[in-house]
Amino acid sequence: MIERCPTNIWLAELQAILQGSAGGFLFGIPLLYTVEVWSIGSATEPEWLLVVLAVTLVVVWFLTQVEGFRQTLTLNPCEAVLESIEAVGIGVACAAIALLLLQRITFATPLSEILGKLVFEGVPFSLGVALARSTLTNNPLRMRRRVTLSRVTLSPTLSSLRDALVDFDATLIGAVLIAFSIAPTEEVSLIAAALPSLWLLLVIAASLGLSYTIVFASGFTDRAERQQRGLLLSPGTETLMAYLVALTASVTMLVLFRQLHPGDPWQEWLSDTLVLGLPASVGGAAGRILV
Amino acid sequence: MAEAADNRRQDDKTRMTKSDDTQQTTPGALPAKPSHRSLAEWLTLMISMIILSLLVGLILYDWQVNQTRPPAFEITIDNSVRITDRRYYLPFAITNTGGQIARTVQVVAELHFPGAADEVAEQQIDFLSGHEQKQGSFVFTHNPLEGDLMVRVASYRLP
Repeated sequence: MIERCPTNIWLAELQAILQGSAGGFLFGIPLLYTVEVWSIGSATEPEWLLVVLAVTLVVVWFLTQVEGFRQTLTLNPCEAVLESIEAVGIGVACAAIALLLLQRITFATPLSEILGKLVFEGVPFSLGVALARSTLTNNPLRMRRRVTLSRVTLSPTLSSLRDALVDFDATLIGAVLIAFSIAPTEEVSLIAAALPSLWLLLVIAASLGLSYTIVFASGFTDRAERQQRGLLLSPGTETLMAYLVALTASVTMLVLFRQLHPGDPWQEWLSDTLVLGLPASVGGAAGRILV
Repeated sequence: MAEAADNRRQDDKTRMTKSDDTQQTTPGALPAKPSHRSLAEWLTLMISMIILSLLVGLILYDWQVNQTRPPAFEITIDNSVRITDRRYYLPFAITNTGGQIARTVQVVAELHFPGAADEVAEQQIDFLSGHEQKQGSFVFTHNPLEGDLMVRVASYRLP
Protein backbone atom coordinates (compact mmCIF):
# COMPACT_ATOMS: atom_id res chain seq x y z
CA MET A 1 0.00 0.00 0.00
CA ILE A 2 1.50 3.31 -1.08
CA GLU A 3 -0.75 5.31 1.18
CA ARG A 4 0.79 7.00 4.17
CA CYS A 5 -0.96 7.84 7.42
CA PRO A 6 -0.22 11.31 8.71
CA THR A 7 0.30 11.36 12.47
CA ASN A 8 -1.66 14.59 12.89
CA ILE A 9 -5.32 13.65 13.38
CA TRP A 10 -6.58 16.76 11.59
CA LEU A 11 -4.32 16.15 8.60
CA ALA A 12 -5.33 12.48 8.51
CA GLU A 13 -9.01 13.43 8.60
CA LEU A 14 -8.59 16.08 5.93
CA GLN A 15 -6.85 13.51 3.76
CA ALA A 16 -9.69 11.01 4.32
CA ILE A 17 -12.27 13.66 3.37
CA LEU A 18 -10.26 14.63 0.27
CA GLN A 19 -10.00 10.97 -0.73
CA GLY A 20 -13.74 10.55 -0.31
CA SER A 21 -14.41 13.75 -2.27
CA ALA A 22 -12.11 12.57 -5.08
CA GLY A 23 -14.13 9.36 -5.39
CA GLY A 24 -17.34 11.37 -5.20
CA PHE A 25 -16.36 13.64 -8.08
CA LEU A 26 -15.16 10.71 -10.17
CA PHE A 27 -18.50 8.91 -9.79
CA GLY A 28 -20.75 11.95 -9.66
CA ILE A 29 -19.52 14.15 -12.49
CA PRO A 30 -20.89 12.05 -15.39
CA LEU A 31 -24.39 12.20 -13.89
CA LEU A 32 -23.94 15.91 -13.29
CA TYR A 33 -23.90 16.37 -17.06
CA THR A 34 -27.29 14.70 -17.51
CA VAL A 35 -30.20 17.02 -18.11
CA GLU A 36 -32.72 14.33 -17.18
CA VAL A 37 -31.35 14.18 -13.64
CA TRP A 38 -31.84 17.93 -13.24
CA SER A 39 -35.42 17.67 -14.43
CA ILE A 40 -36.20 14.54 -12.39
CA GLY A 41 -34.83 16.30 -9.33
CA SER A 42 -36.92 19.38 -10.05
CA ALA A 43 -40.13 17.44 -10.55
CA THR A 44 -39.94 14.94 -7.70
CA GLU A 45 -42.22 15.10 -4.67
CA PRO A 46 -40.55 15.71 -1.28
CA GLU A 47 -41.66 12.34 0.15
CA TRP A 48 -39.94 10.59 -2.74
CA LEU A 49 -36.77 12.62 -2.11
CA LEU A 50 -36.75 11.30 1.46
CA VAL A 51 -37.08 7.74 0.14
CA VAL A 52 -34.15 8.29 -2.27
CA LEU A 53 -32.05 9.73 0.56
CA ALA A 54 -32.86 6.77 2.82
CA VAL A 55 -32.06 4.22 0.09
CA THR A 56 -28.76 6.02 -0.58
CA LEU A 57 -27.86 5.77 3.10
CA VAL A 58 -28.63 2.03 3.14
CA VAL A 59 -26.61 1.33 -0.04
CA VAL A 60 -23.69 3.41 1.25
CA TRP A 61 -23.90 1.47 4.54
CA PHE A 62 -23.58 -1.81 2.62
CA LEU A 63 -20.59 -0.47 0.70
CA THR A 64 -19.00 0.81 3.90
CA GLN A 65 -19.14 -2.72 5.33
CA VAL A 66 -16.72 -3.75 2.59
CA GLU A 67 -14.61 -0.65 2.07
CA GLY A 68 -15.26 2.76 3.56
CA PHE A 69 -13.55 6.00 2.65
CA ARG A 70 -11.36 5.82 5.77
CA GLN A 71 -8.37 3.53 6.15
CA THR A 72 -9.83 1.50 9.02
CA LEU A 73 -9.49 -2.23 9.32
CA THR A 74 -11.71 -2.67 12.37
CA LEU A 75 -15.18 -1.47 11.55
CA ASN A 76 -17.96 -2.38 13.96
CA PRO A 77 -21.62 -2.05 12.82
CA CYS A 78 -22.14 1.18 14.74
CA GLU A 79 -19.00 2.68 13.21
CA ALA A 80 -20.20 1.64 9.74
CA VAL A 81 -23.45 3.56 10.28
CA LEU A 82 -21.54 6.66 11.39
CA GLU A 83 -19.18 6.42 8.43
CA SER A 84 -22.16 6.03 6.05
CA ILE A 85 -23.66 9.24 7.42
CA GLU A 86 -20.33 10.97 6.85
CA ALA A 87 -20.05 9.56 3.32
CA VAL A 88 -23.52 10.82 2.38
CA GLY A 89 -22.79 14.17 4.05
CA ILE A 90 -19.57 14.56 2.05
CA GLY A 91 -21.35 13.36 -1.10
CA VAL A 92 -24.14 15.92 -0.75
CA ALA A 93 -21.63 18.69 0.00
CA CYS A 94 -19.58 17.77 -3.10
CA ALA A 95 -22.74 17.60 -5.23
CA ALA A 96 -23.71 21.08 -3.98
CA ILE A 97 -20.28 22.48 -4.91
CA ALA A 98 -20.47 20.89 -8.37
CA LEU A 99 -24.03 22.12 -9.00
CA LEU A 100 -23.05 25.64 -7.92
CA LEU A 101 -19.94 25.54 -10.11
CA LEU A 102 -21.95 24.61 -13.20
CA GLN A 103 -24.71 27.04 -12.20
CA ARG A 104 -27.35 24.33 -12.02
CA ILE A 105 -28.12 25.93 -8.65
CA THR A 106 -28.13 29.70 -8.35
CA PHE A 107 -29.63 32.21 -5.92
CA ALA A 108 -32.69 32.38 -8.18
CA THR A 109 -33.33 28.61 -8.07
CA PRO A 110 -36.44 27.73 -6.03
CA LEU A 111 -35.99 25.65 -2.88
CA SER A 112 -37.82 22.55 -4.14
CA GLU A 113 -35.66 22.44 -7.26
CA ILE A 114 -32.45 22.84 -5.23
CA LEU A 115 -33.47 19.99 -2.92
CA GLY A 116 -34.40 17.70 -5.82
CA LYS A 117 -31.15 18.30 -7.66
CA LEU A 118 -29.09 17.94 -4.47
CA VAL A 119 -30.67 14.63 -3.50
CA PHE A 120 -30.49 13.03 -6.96
CA GLU A 121 -26.98 14.29 -7.74
CA GLY A 122 -25.96 13.39 -4.19
CA VAL A 123 -26.59 9.68 -4.88
CA PRO A 124 -23.62 9.03 -7.23
CA PHE A 125 -21.41 11.40 -5.26
CA SER A 126 -22.16 9.50 -2.01
CA LEU A 127 -21.53 6.12 -3.68
CA GLY A 128 -18.27 7.53 -5.02
CA VAL A 129 -17.22 8.64 -1.53
CA ALA A 130 -17.90 5.16 -0.14
CA LEU A 131 -16.03 3.50 -3.02
CA ALA A 132 -13.18 6.02 -3.12
CA ARG A 133 -10.51 3.86 -1.54
CA SER A 134 -11.34 0.66 -3.40
CA THR A 135 -11.55 2.52 -6.71
CA LEU A 136 -8.67 4.95 -6.51
CA THR A 137 -6.06 3.13 -4.47
CA ASN A 138 -3.40 2.12 -6.95
CA ASN A 139 -2.02 -1.33 -7.46
CA PRO A 140 1.40 -1.57 -5.78
CA LEU A 141 2.43 -4.49 -7.96
CA ARG A 142 2.04 -2.61 -11.24
CA MET A 143 3.63 0.49 -9.81
CA ARG A 144 6.61 -1.48 -8.64
CA ARG A 145 7.06 -3.23 -11.98
CA ARG A 146 7.06 0.07 -13.84
CA VAL A 147 9.65 1.72 -11.55
CA THR A 148 11.94 -1.32 -11.65
CA LEU A 149 11.87 -1.54 -15.44
CA SER A 150 12.56 2.12 -15.98
CA ARG A 151 15.48 2.20 -13.60
CA VAL A 152 17.11 -0.91 -14.97
CA THR A 153 16.79 -0.49 -18.71
CA LEU A 154 16.98 3.25 -19.26
CA SER A 155 19.30 6.13 -18.42
CA PRO A 156 18.01 8.57 -15.73
CA THR A 157 16.96 11.23 -18.28
CA LEU A 158 15.26 8.76 -20.58
CA SER A 159 13.67 7.12 -17.59
CA SER A 160 12.27 10.47 -16.43
CA LEU A 161 11.00 11.21 -19.92
CA ARG A 162 9.41 7.78 -20.13
CA ASP A 163 7.70 8.21 -16.74
CA ALA A 164 6.44 11.65 -17.72
CA LEU A 165 5.04 10.21 -20.95
CA VAL A 166 3.42 7.36 -19.02
CA ASP A 167 1.80 9.99 -16.76
CA PHE A 168 0.39 11.92 -19.72
CA ASP A 169 -0.68 8.71 -21.38
CA ALA A 170 -2.55 7.81 -18.19
CA THR A 171 -4.08 11.31 -18.11
CA LEU A 172 -5.27 10.87 -21.68
CA ILE A 173 -6.77 7.43 -20.98
CA GLY A 174 -8.57 8.65 -17.84
CA ALA A 175 -9.79 11.82 -19.52
CA VAL A 176 -11.18 9.92 -22.50
CA LEU A 177 -12.77 7.23 -20.31
CA ILE A 178 -14.73 9.77 -18.26
CA ALA A 179 -15.41 12.47 -20.86
CA PHE A 180 -16.12 10.26 -23.90
CA SER A 181 -19.66 9.49 -22.79
CA ILE A 182 -20.31 13.17 -22.00
CA ALA A 183 -18.84 14.74 -25.16
CA PRO A 184 -21.64 13.78 -27.62
CA THR A 185 -24.45 15.00 -25.33
CA GLU A 186 -26.10 18.39 -25.59
CA GLU A 187 -25.52 19.06 -21.88
CA VAL A 188 -22.02 20.38 -22.58
CA SER A 189 -23.29 23.18 -24.80
CA LEU A 190 -26.32 23.70 -22.53
CA ILE A 191 -24.12 24.28 -19.48
CA ALA A 192 -21.53 26.27 -21.44
CA ALA A 193 -24.17 28.57 -22.89
CA ALA A 194 -25.57 29.35 -19.44
CA LEU A 195 -22.21 30.20 -17.86
CA PRO A 196 -21.06 33.84 -17.83
CA SER A 197 -17.64 34.41 -19.41
CA LEU A 198 -15.87 35.21 -16.13
CA TRP A 199 -17.38 32.12 -14.50
CA LEU A 200 -15.24 30.04 -16.87
CA LEU A 201 -12.20 31.14 -14.84
CA LEU A 202 -13.80 29.42 -11.85
CA VAL A 203 -14.31 26.26 -13.95
CA ILE A 204 -10.60 26.33 -14.87
CA ALA A 205 -9.62 26.82 -11.22
CA ALA A 206 -11.92 23.99 -10.11
CA SER A 207 -10.56 21.64 -12.79
CA LEU A 208 -6.98 22.35 -11.72
CA GLY A 209 -7.87 22.17 -8.01
CA LEU A 210 -9.67 18.84 -8.35
CA SER A 211 -6.85 17.36 -10.41
CA TYR A 212 -4.25 18.50 -7.85
CA THR A 213 -6.36 17.24 -4.94
CA ILE A 214 -6.89 13.78 -6.43
CA VAL A 215 -3.23 13.23 -7.36
CA PHE A 216 -1.27 15.10 -4.71
CA ALA A 217 -3.37 16.25 -1.75
CA SER A 218 -5.56 13.22 -1.08
CA GLY A 219 -2.64 10.85 -0.39
CA PHE A 220 -3.71 8.15 -2.84
CA THR A 221 -0.16 8.14 -4.17
CA ASP A 222 3.17 8.71 -2.51
CA ARG A 223 3.84 12.39 -3.06
CA ALA A 224 7.61 12.14 -2.59
CA GLU A 225 7.80 9.28 -5.06
CA ARG A 226 5.78 11.21 -7.63
CA GLN A 227 7.93 14.29 -7.20
CA GLN A 228 11.13 12.36 -7.78
CA ARG A 229 9.74 10.67 -10.85
CA GLY A 230 9.06 12.28 -14.22
CA LEU A 231 10.43 15.26 -16.08
CA LEU A 232 7.98 17.61 -14.46
CA LEU A 233 9.06 17.67 -10.88
CA SER A 234 6.72 20.30 -9.56
CA PRO A 235 3.18 19.09 -8.74
CA GLY A 236 1.86 22.43 -9.99
CA THR A 237 3.51 22.05 -13.37
CA GLU A 238 2.41 18.45 -13.68
CA THR A 239 -1.18 19.43 -12.83
CA LEU A 240 -1.08 22.22 -15.40
CA MET A 241 0.35 20.01 -18.14
CA ALA A 242 -2.17 17.28 -17.37
CA TYR A 243 -4.97 19.88 -17.63
CA LEU A 244 -3.71 20.86 -21.07
CA VAL A 245 -3.78 17.20 -22.09
CA ALA A 246 -7.36 16.94 -20.77
CA LEU A 247 -8.38 20.08 -22.70
CA THR A 248 -6.80 18.75 -25.89
CA ALA A 249 -8.68 15.48 -25.43
CA SER A 250 -11.90 17.44 -24.78
CA VAL A 251 -11.70 19.61 -27.88
CA THR A 252 -10.79 16.56 -30.00
CA MET A 253 -13.79 14.61 -28.71
CA LEU A 254 -16.12 17.56 -29.27
CA VAL A 255 -14.91 17.92 -32.86
CA LEU A 256 -15.14 14.17 -33.49
CA PHE A 257 -18.72 14.10 -32.23
CA ARG A 258 -19.57 17.12 -34.42
CA GLN A 259 -20.43 19.23 -31.39
CA LEU A 260 -18.03 21.93 -32.57
CA HIS A 261 -17.76 23.11 -36.16
CA PRO A 262 -15.22 25.39 -37.82
CA GLY A 263 -17.95 28.01 -38.33
CA ASP A 264 -18.87 28.21 -34.65
CA PRO A 265 -17.77 31.33 -32.76
CA TRP A 266 -14.51 31.02 -30.80
CA GLN A 267 -16.38 31.73 -27.58
CA GLU A 268 -18.38 28.52 -28.08
CA TRP A 269 -15.21 26.55 -28.75
CA LEU A 270 -13.65 27.94 -25.59
CA SER A 271 -16.60 27.49 -23.25
CA ASP A 272 -17.55 24.01 -24.51
CA THR A 273 -13.94 22.83 -24.21
CA LEU A 274 -13.55 24.20 -20.69
CA VAL A 275 -16.87 22.73 -19.56
CA LEU A 276 -15.94 19.27 -20.89
CA GLY A 277 -12.43 19.83 -19.52
CA LEU A 278 -13.76 19.56 -15.96
CA PRO A 279 -14.77 15.86 -16.13
CA ALA A 280 -11.79 15.19 -18.40
CA SER A 281 -9.33 16.58 -15.84
CA VAL A 282 -10.99 14.56 -13.02
CA GLY A 283 -10.73 11.43 -15.19
CA GLY A 284 -7.16 12.30 -16.12
CA ALA A 285 -6.18 12.67 -12.47
CA ALA A 286 -7.77 9.32 -11.64
CA GLY A 287 -5.92 7.80 -14.57
CA ARG A 288 -2.58 9.10 -13.31
CA ILE A 289 -2.97 7.51 -9.89
CA LEU A 290 -4.27 4.22 -11.26
CA VAL A 291 -2.13 3.51 -14.32
CA MET B 1 6.40 -14.16 -10.13
CA ALA B 2 7.31 -14.98 -6.55
CA GLU B 3 6.95 -11.31 -5.67
CA ALA B 4 3.56 -11.21 -7.34
CA ALA B 5 2.37 -14.22 -5.37
CA ASP B 6 3.67 -12.65 -2.16
CA ASN B 7 1.82 -9.44 -2.91
CA ARG B 8 -1.37 -11.30 -3.66
CA ARG B 9 -1.01 -13.30 -0.45
CA GLN B 10 -0.43 -10.03 1.40
CA ASP B 11 -3.63 -8.60 -0.12
CA ASP B 12 -5.59 -11.73 0.80
CA LYS B 13 -4.23 -11.58 4.32
CA THR B 14 -5.30 -7.95 4.66
CA ARG B 15 -8.73 -8.76 3.33
CA MET B 16 -9.07 -11.69 5.69
CA THR B 17 -8.10 -9.49 8.62
CA LYS B 18 -10.84 -7.05 7.72
CA SER B 19 -13.35 -9.82 7.10
CA ASP B 20 -12.46 -11.50 10.39
CA ASP B 21 -12.91 -8.25 12.23
CA THR B 22 -16.28 -7.72 10.65
CA GLN B 23 -17.36 -11.23 11.54
CA GLN B 24 -16.28 -10.79 15.11
CA THR B 25 -18.35 -7.69 15.49
CA THR B 26 -21.56 -8.85 13.84
CA PRO B 27 -24.64 -8.66 16.09
CA GLY B 28 -25.15 -11.80 18.09
CA ALA B 29 -21.46 -12.68 18.08
CA LEU B 30 -18.89 -10.89 20.20
CA PRO B 31 -19.78 -7.46 21.61
CA ALA B 32 -18.89 -4.58 19.30
CA LYS B 33 -15.55 -2.95 19.88
CA PRO B 34 -15.67 0.52 21.39
CA SER B 35 -15.32 3.34 18.90
CA HIS B 36 -11.86 4.88 18.63
CA ARG B 37 -12.81 8.00 16.76
CA SER B 38 -10.51 10.97 16.89
CA LEU B 39 -11.74 14.48 17.60
CA ALA B 40 -11.35 15.31 13.91
CA GLU B 41 -13.53 12.34 12.94
CA TRP B 42 -16.22 13.38 15.43
CA LEU B 43 -16.16 16.87 13.90
CA THR B 44 -16.64 15.41 10.40
CA LEU B 45 -19.54 13.33 11.69
CA MET B 46 -21.12 16.36 13.36
CA ILE B 47 -20.87 18.48 10.18
CA SER B 48 -22.22 15.59 8.07
CA MET B 49 -25.18 15.16 10.43
CA ILE B 50 -25.87 18.91 10.28
CA ILE B 51 -25.83 18.77 6.44
CA LEU B 52 -28.19 15.77 6.33
CA SER B 53 -30.49 17.16 9.03
CA LEU B 54 -30.70 20.47 7.17
CA LEU B 55 -31.49 18.62 3.93
CA VAL B 56 -34.20 16.48 5.54
CA GLY B 57 -35.60 19.51 7.41
CA LEU B 58 -35.83 21.57 4.23
CA ILE B 59 -37.48 18.69 2.35
CA LEU B 60 -40.10 18.39 5.12
CA TYR B 61 -40.60 22.18 5.13
CA ASP B 62 -41.04 22.18 1.35
CA TRP B 63 -43.51 19.30 1.67
CA GLN B 64 -45.62 21.15 4.22
CA VAL B 65 -45.48 24.65 2.77
CA ASN B 66 -45.20 24.39 -1.00
CA GLN B 67 -46.46 21.06 -2.21
CA THR B 68 -50.05 21.64 -1.10
CA ARG B 69 -50.36 24.67 -3.38
CA PRO B 70 -51.06 23.98 -7.08
CA PRO B 71 -49.30 26.00 -9.80
CA ALA B 72 -50.51 29.53 -10.42
CA PHE B 73 -48.99 32.07 -12.79
CA GLU B 74 -48.23 35.75 -12.83
CA ILE B 75 -47.04 37.41 -16.03
CA THR B 76 -45.40 40.81 -16.07
CA ILE B 77 -44.79 42.73 -19.26
CA ASP B 78 -41.89 45.10 -19.59
CA ASN B 79 -42.82 48.20 -21.58
CA SER B 80 -39.31 48.68 -22.93
CA VAL B 81 -39.90 47.35 -26.41
CA ARG B 82 -36.78 46.77 -28.48
CA ILE B 83 -36.98 47.32 -32.24
CA THR B 84 -34.54 45.39 -34.44
CA ASP B 85 -34.93 44.84 -38.22
CA ARG B 86 -38.50 46.18 -38.10
CA ARG B 87 -39.51 43.60 -35.48
CA TYR B 88 -40.78 44.50 -32.03
CA TYR B 89 -39.35 42.49 -29.14
CA LEU B 90 -41.52 42.64 -26.04
CA PRO B 91 -39.84 41.26 -22.87
CA PHE B 92 -41.94 39.37 -20.36
CA ALA B 93 -41.43 37.47 -17.12
CA ILE B 94 -43.58 34.61 -15.86
CA THR B 95 -43.59 33.49 -12.23
CA ASN B 96 -45.11 30.35 -10.76
CA THR B 97 -46.66 31.78 -7.61
CA GLY B 98 -47.92 28.36 -6.54
CA GLY B 99 -45.90 25.66 -4.83
CA GLN B 100 -45.97 22.71 -7.22
CA ILE B 101 -43.91 22.48 -10.38
CA ALA B 102 -45.62 22.98 -13.75
CA ARG B 103 -44.37 21.47 -17.00
CA THR B 104 -44.77 22.63 -20.60
CA VAL B 105 -46.33 25.94 -19.60
CA GLN B 106 -47.71 27.58 -22.71
CA VAL B 107 -47.81 31.36 -22.74
CA VAL B 108 -49.79 33.07 -25.48
CA ALA B 109 -49.69 36.74 -26.42
CA GLU B 110 -52.40 38.08 -28.75
CA LEU B 111 -52.02 41.49 -30.33
CA HIS B 112 -55.17 43.03 -31.74
CA PHE B 113 -55.41 46.10 -33.97
CA PRO B 114 -58.83 47.35 -35.08
CA GLY B 115 -59.35 46.53 -38.73
CA ALA B 116 -56.24 44.32 -38.99
CA ALA B 117 -55.49 40.64 -38.54
CA ASP B 118 -54.51 39.56 -35.02
CA GLU B 119 -50.90 38.67 -34.32
CA VAL B 120 -50.26 35.71 -32.04
CA ALA B 121 -46.95 34.92 -30.35
CA GLU B 122 -46.40 31.77 -28.31
CA GLN B 123 -43.85 30.61 -25.83
CA GLN B 124 -43.49 27.20 -24.22
CA ILE B 125 -41.59 26.76 -20.96
CA ASP B 126 -40.43 23.23 -20.14
CA PHE B 127 -40.24 23.52 -16.34
CA LEU B 128 -41.45 26.13 -13.91
CA SER B 129 -40.92 25.22 -10.27
CA GLY B 130 -42.82 26.84 -7.42
CA HIS B 131 -41.71 30.49 -7.02
CA GLU B 132 -39.50 30.22 -10.08
CA GLN B 133 -39.37 33.02 -12.60
CA LYS B 134 -38.41 32.73 -16.24
CA GLN B 135 -37.97 35.48 -18.78
CA GLY B 136 -38.36 35.71 -22.50
CA SER B 137 -39.59 37.94 -25.33
CA PHE B 138 -42.50 37.95 -27.74
CA VAL B 139 -41.75 39.07 -31.27
CA PHE B 140 -44.31 41.09 -33.25
CA THR B 141 -44.32 42.86 -36.58
CA HIS B 142 -46.39 45.75 -35.14
CA ASN B 143 -45.72 47.83 -32.06
CA PRO B 144 -47.44 45.95 -29.20
CA LEU B 145 -47.67 49.11 -27.09
CA GLU B 146 -49.98 50.73 -29.65
CA GLY B 147 -52.38 47.81 -29.98
CA ASP B 148 -54.63 45.82 -27.69
CA LEU B 149 -52.35 43.21 -26.11
CA MET B 150 -53.50 40.18 -24.14
CA VAL B 151 -50.98 37.80 -22.53
CA ARG B 152 -52.15 34.66 -20.76
CA VAL B 153 -51.14 31.13 -19.82
CA ALA B 154 -53.03 28.79 -22.11
CA SER B 155 -52.09 25.46 -20.52
CA TYR B 156 -49.64 23.55 -18.39
CA ARG B 157 -48.98 19.97 -17.35
CA LEU B 158 -48.32 18.47 -13.94
CA PRO B 159 -45.17 16.34 -13.67
